[in-house]
Amino acid sequence: MNRLPTLLSGIFLVFLTSWLGLVAYPAIQLGRLAPVADADNGGTLPPTYGGQAIAGQHVYATEGCISCHSQQVRQTSITSSDIERGWGVRPSVARDYLRDSTAFLGSRRLGQDLSNIGVRRPDAKWHFIHLYHPAAVCEGSLMPCFSHLFLTRKIQGQRSDEALELTGEDAPKDGYEVIPTSDAKNLVAYLLALRHDYPLPEAPVKKAGAAK
Amino acid sequence: MSHHTLPHHHAESGHEPLDTKAIDASVKLPVIILFGNAIHWLVVASLLSLVLSIKLVAPGFLGGVSFLTYGRLAPMARDLMLYGWASQAALAAGIWLMARLCGRPLGEGLGGVFLRTLIISATVLWNLAVLLGTLAILAGYSSGVEWLEYPGWASAMLLLSFLLIGIWAVLLFDRRTTGHAEVAQWYLVAAFCWFPWVYGTANLLLVWKPIQASAQGPIQSWFCGSLLALWLLPVALAAAYALLPRLTQNHLNRRHLATLGFWMLLFLGGWNGMDRLIGGPVPAWMTSAGVVAGVLFLIPVIMIVINLLGMPRHGVHGAKIIPSNFLHMGIYALIVVGVIGSISSLPSVSGALRFTAFTEAKTQLWILGAISLPLFGVLYESLPQLLGRECWNQTFSSRHYILTLVGIGMLVVLMILGGLFTGLALSDPTISFLNITSYSYPFHLLECVAQLLLCVAALFLAMNVSVALAGDYLLNKQTGK
Amino acid sequence: MNNDHHHQQQENGTGETNRPLSPWLVGAFMLALCWGGLYLGFNSGGFRQDVYESNAVNWAGGGVQSAAPVDPKVVGKRLYTQNCVVCHQPTGMGVAGQFPPLVGSEYVLADGNMGDNHLVMLVLNGLQGHFMVKGQPYNNAMVPWKQLSDEQIADILTYIRSDWGNNAPAITPDFVAYVRKETASANDSYTQEQLMAMKPMKSTEMPGAPAKK
Repeated sequence: MNRLPTLLSGIFLVFLTSWLGLVAYPAIQLGRLAPVADADNGGTLPPTYGGQAIAGQHVYATEGCISCHSQQVRQTSITSSDIERGWGVRPSVARDYLRDSTAFLGSRRLGQDLSNIGVRRPDAKWHFIHLYHPAAVCEGSLMPCFSHLFLTRKIQGQRSDEALELTGEDAPKDGYEVIPTSDAKNLVAYLLALRHDYPLPEAPVKKAGAAK
Repeated sequence: MSHHTLPHHHAESGHEPLDTKAIDASVKLPVIILFGNAIHWLVVASLLSLVLSIKLVAPGFLGGVSFLTYGRLAPMARDLMLYGWASQAALAAGIWLMARLCGRPLGEGLGGVFLRTLIISATVLWNLAVLLGTLAILAGYSSGVEWLEYPGWASAMLLLSFLLIGIWAVLLFDRRTTGHAEVAQWYLVAAFCWFPWVYGTANLLLVWKPIQASAQGPIQSWFCGSLLALWLLPVALAAAYALLPRLTQNHLNRRHLATLGFWMLLFLGGWNGMDRLIGGPVPAWMTSAGVVAGVLFLIPVIMIVINLLGMPRHGVHGAKIIPSNFLHMGIYALIVVGVIGSISSLPSVSGALRFTAFTEAKTQLWILGAISLPLFGVLYESLPQLLGRECWNQTFSSRHYILTLVGIGMLVVLMILGGLFTGLALSDPTISFLNITSYSYPFHLLECVAQLLLCVAALFLAMNVSVALAGDYLLNKQTGK
Repeated sequence: MNNDHHHQQQENGTGETNRPLSPWLVGAFMLALCWGGLYLGFNSGGFRQDVYESNAVNWAGGGVQSAAPVDPKVVGKRLYTQNCVVCHQPTGMGVAGQFPPLVGSEYVLADGNMGDNHLVMLVLNGLQGHFMVKGQPYNNAMVPWKQLSDEQIADILTYIRSDWGNNAPAITPDFVAYVRKETASANDSYTQEQLMAMKPMKSTEMPGAPAKK
């Protein structure tokens, strides 16, 4: 311990243990997981993301959604409260994150877990209004308003199909409408695609009667 | 010359006496620049943390501005704390401690000038990386990986500048004047070797060339655990091992224990990060490894604490009080971190409390308590010696000390209580999430007060250092240096 | 703290000493390490990569949550229902005079001088003109299905070979890939003559195929 080479070798070897277990093993084993065949429709599981959803991941990353939201339903041997709360029908496993560019696992739940938000809230219009002014649909929500993802513009001719149905204080002035930008549309497409409710070999889904 | 210099090693036959003035002079400029920048970022990070805590009480605060949402400010604040403040202060402390412990100046003559220039340039690069990385997050270019939000080019700059600074600390160890290595020196060598490996690997696999996302979870957790327990904490512990005995005029009386504690800390440090992923989408053995590592982490903590606090203490006087207090408080914070960490790694506890303010309390206590407090201690001890005179304003020093302790204590206690409350409520599926949010309000409100105290504390520190350095500048002008 | 005379201490020149640790503490540490080892042993799902629940398995090998591979016949049946049922019917009986049956068909079962490769070829590239199935004449066109993947074709063929009383060995995706490569130059549907002109081959005879059983 008094000589640099001895100290360095010791440090290297000890460090290697956690590196092997937590970096090399995941990279080799979990990093090579492949999709499995979908018995129901000839596709693969996890179901692939469309182009908008892939772009939406980027918006999720840059807006920092991970600061408040997690995306993992925990194993029942640790806690079953995630499933009981209706945040998923089964625990999340590594293969579920196959199609993501970054695993947005998250470490804080100032907001709900989002791993199955596409199942819980399948309505794009709800998501747009929620992003524009969260407290309007979720009273007391701490989520900030993402109004910069929307455009307020003068109605040209007819009201656009995409215009948000806003009421009360949120509604724009007469003759104006609020429409989502492409960032908002991509983000919502990503949110709608978030689901971990399909069965996987390592994560079967218990059929109705068991989970809530 | 002040009384509380880091004493020379007992003069052993055949070794020339060490010239601490020469050593100090050789590292003065780099260390001061590193510390100065670190404190600057500490102030900014504290202000950002204050804004964030206000946003939890009034979500509309600073609302409507695209780049001031919680999601952009939170990673900025966290990364500034980690890379702007803590890592830079650790670099400064590490260089000073290593130079003094090894009894060698940082290069002599022209070599010294070259090294100093190199380190200062690397420091500029580091701060540029931090600044640009932070602005990038603000502008919407965050990478989305927790604690690694700086875009790839910024993290590469950071790694490069670390290599340019850190290698000298390791080489100093090799050229030291005594055959006997102190515990503090082991920790410093380990810390300086680890950061590049940990930071480089994590960035390579998560940011620069991300591997398949199914594998990213454990790697990111490993990074978080390693950054705190294998880079920042060892430097703080080195400070404690080096300074506490000398400030209290004592010697370590359990060297074997120190050795054991050192290796156990190194072994468990990386695995400890898995407590962030207990029950997560990883194979069962990784969850169990996280549980075991988290619980067993208390063992090296106890060993280290016994070592550092278990020696008879003589009175500490005068200017030694503040550094000694900071170092002791850091050790106490480490004890609390160890206990909280152990308990929260148990499966059922983790099941209830993960994702709540409880985990945040643990992180804050790690960064603000176990790591920052000893680094403050090094700052208060080193600056007078580097400047060659008593330079601290006692009012500012004591206010910084008190406000920091009260702020950290209040913040951690509130977050623990709030987390317990939230966690237990979340375990009951009949309580709606929005209800839980509204009941957290009083905790969030008081946390704002705690963050305000920490902000003011940081400002006092900044003023103290500015006054000290300004005084030094004026003094040099007067004496025509 | 000051019972120094009870303990042996060595100085190493810097004043650092080595006071031994209380045996209680050492005992507690050892106990903790034992707990750690046992916990890890019993709660790691056998250290398997596909076991996520830590209470799932113990070292005694007791049963559990293993990864059940997806049954190709199930997938095949679904694909058959989506793609083939229009002509060949859910019963596999086809339509008399129009679409040949698959039940007992020599093409499906690779009977007589038919090979497994003929079956795969006709699914990949199609069949046209006059042909005989089970002694009955047909004059129709089967469209090519080369747009399906190797796995999908293999699953469909495995299914039709196992239902309605049919019983023939499964077709592997590797074999489909091999036949696809060999017949890549075909740019039109086969006639029966062209098909029969090709040497029959069982899927086990494919170069590089693993030995049967």
